[in-house]
This record gives sequence, C-alpha cells and structure tokens, in this order.
Amino acid sequence: MGKLTIGTFSSLVGSLSLDFAVKLAEAAVKKGHEVDFWLSGNATMLGKKNQSKFRDYSYLLGTIEELLKTGKFQITLCEACGKARGIHKEDIIEGMNIYSMDWYLASMYNADRVIHIGGE
Amino acid sequence: MAVKKYAFIIEKLPYKSETSRLALTHAIASQTVEIHLEEGESVEPVIAFVGDGVLNCLKDQKALDMYGVTSQEMHIKNALLLDLKVLVCKEDLEKYGLTEDDIIMDAEEIGGEVTTEIVPFSEIMNVIETADQVLFF
Amino acid sequence: MKLAVFVHEYREPEILDRLKAEKFGIILVQNGVYHATLKKNGQTSPLLSKEAEFYALSEDLASRGLSDDKVDPKVKVVNYEGLVDLIFNDYEKILWL
Repeated sequence: MGKLTIGTFSSLVGSLSLDFAVKLAEAAVKKGHEVDFWLSGNATMLGKKNQSKFRDYSYLLGTIEELLKTGKFQITLCEACGKARGIHKEDIIEGMNIYSMDWYLASMYNADRVIHIGGE
Repeated sequence: MAVKKYAFIIEKLPYKSETSRLALTHAIASQTVEIHLEEGESVEPVIAFVGDGVLNCLKDQKALDMYGVTSQEMHIKNALLLDLKVLVCKEDLEKYGLTEDDIIMDAEEIGGEVTTEIVPFSEIMNVIETADQVLFF
Repeated sequence: MKLAVFVHEYREPEILDRLKAEKFGIILVQNGVYHATLKKNGQTSPLLSKEAEFYALSEDLASRGLSDDKVDPKVKVVNYEGLVDLIFNDYEKILWL
C-alpha cells in the first residue's frame, strides 16, 4: 500500500475539482492507501465549520469526517490562505490541521504519488 | 543526506487567479520544510515558467500600487535571493517577442546572487523527468 | 518516465504536445470527458490522435448524460477506484493540466 498526497487550490463552491479530489482520496483510502490532503487558496473553505447542505452546491464535509475516522487520512489547511479568508483554527472542523505551506512540501517528501490540482 | 527535487511548472498568467502566486509561495516554503523532515532531509525546488506563464516574469510590475498585493516580480526576486533555480522557457519568450531585457533576470538590488536562466523547453522537460515530484500550476 | 496527465476541460491544454514520456497516459475527467464521446462536425477530438493511452472517468461521463457506449474505442472507462490503481500501478508522475 502506498501514500498519495493530494493538493488542491480549487474552491468548494464554484468548481468541482475539489469534489474530484475528495472522491479520489476516498477511493484511495478504501483501497488501503494513506492519503495526505492539502487545502490551499480557495480550497481552504472546505475546512470551515457549520457548512449548510444545499442541493445546488458540493457538500463534502460528511466524506471528510468519515475519512478522518479511518486513521489513513490527514487533511491540512494552509494557514495564510485560510486566515486571509477569515478561517482561523477555531473555525475549522475537528481533526483538520492548519499549518504553513511547508507541511505540503514535507508530505510529498515520502509520498509515492502526488496529484497537485493547481487552481482554475 | 537526501535531497529531493521538486519541479514547480508555472503556465498560468498572473493576477487574475492566485495560482501562479501560490506556485511561487509554495516553492519558497521549501526553505522551512526541514522542520517537518528528518535530519539530513531537504527539498530543492526548481521553478520553471512555460507557455503564458512566462508573462509572470515581466519587469516593472506595479501590483503593489495597483492592487495592494506583492507583485510576482517581488516573489521571483525573493526566490532568486534564496538561491532557488528559476528557469524561463526560451521558445515561449520568443513567441511573445520577449528577450532577457524584458524579464526579471536577477535580484541584485536586494542582494541576490543567482540569476534567471533562459532555457529551451527540452531542458524544462528534463527537469520534469528528473524531479522527484512535479507540480503543475 | 511514466507520465499521466489529467485533462479536465473540453479544449486541448497547450502544453500537451510538448510533453514527452516513454509511457504517456491521458486521463479525461470533468469536462475533459467530452473528448471521449463527442464528434464535433463529424470529427472525433484531435486529442484522441495523440500517442497515448486514454482513460475517462465513468462518474463524469454519467453526470453529463454521456453513456459508455458513446465512448471512443480508444478510451478505457474507469471509475475512481480504477483511477487509484492507474495512479499507483501504471504511472509514476501525474500532472493536472
């Protein structure tokens, strides 16, 4: 089994790239791989608590919470990108980390595969 | 000592989206990555501008005055100051009629010693091939 | 190098022709799946004439009303789990273009 690091900059609302990234992470964990997930830029909004579920928008928090329970999934939000959007440590869901960009680079260091989804 | 090479390939235009900016800030973050790694492990970033991405390298950007944000020019100069390798695709510069006089070639005014390298795409392809990890922006 | 690229839009990424690899895969996702099915003015997408292995994500085909039987025979339809296997077993580097 391997380690996959996924980084994404795409927003939760207005793009489906984050939806893709979360579903890929879910499939990888299901197959026994470990996944590190990095949220940067507009993707940081995925970490925000109290998201409402509407049928016209992607809602991924439920999947993220299930993935966190597996112990094979880590998710970290870019501190500067989050703070610039008013998302601080107290605003993010339990189990999610908030670190600076070097966390992502370190995660890639021993990753078997990296998929970087570099924004729109 | 295990050094892993990461390629940051930048094709997006600056400013309208955050993508090319985040490419540079992530590449610069390699300077502090060791706090998360084991002793002797480090990361060597290579930044390469290709396609429309070469337009990030134009001189005299006034984004700080116009938008109140750090310009890509300043980020590129910071990267050079930190001795990061910065490559710009020769064929793509030529496509836009640009020469080294039009782009940021050094960071001398802030004490940088390394310079931007204008290289053929084949060299950038070689970076993609030899890098341990490749990020496309 | 075994290189796979994701194509997620219904246009051809500029850098595509410049990338070289011993084994090259093109994975069509999101709006990229239209390359696998549409014949614009009767012509299949020029993207499918590249020297590459082609894959398309079944979930993205289905969500757009594109059935698997409309997919060009060159393209293998995979689901998310199939995609994970491709990423780990068939390719070393993956770029999202």
